[in-house]
Amino acid sequence: MVPPPGRPADAAKDEALAGFGRYAGPATFILSSLAGGEKHGYALTKDIEAFAGVRLPPGTLYEALARLEGQGLIEAVPSEDRRKPYRLTALGATVLRRQLDAQLKVANLGLRRLSGTWGVA
Amino acid sequence: MSELEDRAARRAERLVRCYSPTWSQRYGEEFAELLAADMLERPRDWRRVLDVLRCGALSRFTAAGLAGEIADPMAQARAALVSFGVALAAFVPFGLAMWSQLTIGWQWSEPSVPVTGLAVVVMSVAVAVLALIAVLAAAPIVWVFLRRIVGRQQRGLLLPAALFSVGLTLLVLGGRHFGNGWPGTGGHPWAHQGLVPGGVAAFTWATTLGVTSYWAHPAALLAFPPAEVAWMGASPLAMVAVVVGAVQTVRRLDCSARVLRHEARVARLAGAAMAAFLVAAAAWVVDGGPGPRNLFHAGSIDVLGLVVMGSALAVGLRALHRVRPRRLDRAPG
Repeated sequence: MVPPPGRPADAAKDEALAGFGRYAGPATFILSSLAGGEKHGYALTKDIEAFAGVRLPPGTLYEALARLEGQGLIEAVPSEDRRKPYRLTALGATVLRRQLDAQLKVANLGLRRLSGTWGVA
Repeated sequence: MSELEDRAARRAERLVRCYSPTWSQRYGEEFAELLAADMLERPRDWRRVLDVLRCGALSRFTAAGLAGEIADPMAQARAALVSFGVALAAFVPFGLAMWSQLTIGWQWSEPSVPVTGLAVVVMSVAVAVLALIAVLAAAPIVWVFLRRIVGRQQRGLLLPAALFSVGLTLLVLGGRHFGNGWPGTGGHPWAHQGLVPGGVAAFTWATTLGVTSYWAHPAALLAFPPAEVAWMGASPLAMVAVVVGAVQTVRRLDCSARVLRHEARVARLAGAAMAAFLVAAAAWVVDGGPGPRNLFHAGSIDVLGLVVMGSALAVGLRALHRVRPRRLDRAPG
């Protein structure tokens, strides 16, 4: 992975690992979608809509894409097409893994408590 | 391409213009493709337009160093400092218009209300500090500019520098010309009884003649001599030329981290002086009273001035907060 110009790789990594803040939703959707292979903007929108039931508006999608690219979590794939595909970087895969692990922990805990207190399986 | 696709492509291109040039250069083409595809699927969607407007505004704020984060700490500091300079440029004409009216009033009679007297003194000190800060801020910029000119690296610098020079020359000449004939110009008997030298007060009054509530009263405005009305319209344009020229010159100079650190320190001082000026001005407007012969009466233009100065200060402080001195300290130079 090549860090964006003017930004040391470590600083970008620290920042990315610290969390996505208010971009957590779109960022997780995009990284999860790219984990399945490179995609351009429209393909990302359709994939996310299919697996999460959420349609990211174009502005929000590209706001998150630009941020993730700046953090070195994704990178543009060279293309002659006007639609530029993106792919996950090694750092992006690590960060996504951490993010999903944390979400899984919360989901498992919530499900256990629901089951224990409310009897909802 | 069908007519429908063609229309969607054109609408998409128009929406991309909401974004900053830097963002558009990098993402514009592919983003327009996505927008056009989205429009063909959902032709009428006001949420998409709102989303693009919001994100476009955010990209412009980010480019101006007021939101988000630019990857290069030098570019972030430069953008934030330029934004601070623009905020200061919006603050200064309204502040000087207010201050010059008060200092000219003082030449006729001292204010009878202590709050007004104290406010004018504080405003005068703040103006003096801001003038000193302007010199301190300009010195390294001028030095870098001259080095670029001597080193024959003047590409892209001459036009904005010329715009700045023309605007400044117009302001100085016009200010000198229209400042004559008022108390404070050399020959007037009350020239030296005020708080500040009369010539300074008259010059400042003349350069900020365009900041007036007469714009809302065209009939009264037309009673003025045509040359004065023309100057009231021309002087704000000269100020805009000064600001645009200065901003473009600074943007293209590519100053070192050392110069940017100096500018950041000086800008923080300017922020403090602006805050002191605003507090004093607000105290006068709220509690000052008209004073003898209505000389210190606060009008609607002064209330508007407070609003503009308050907004400019808020933007300026936001910009200062985003200079990120720690990131700048890590930058070379």
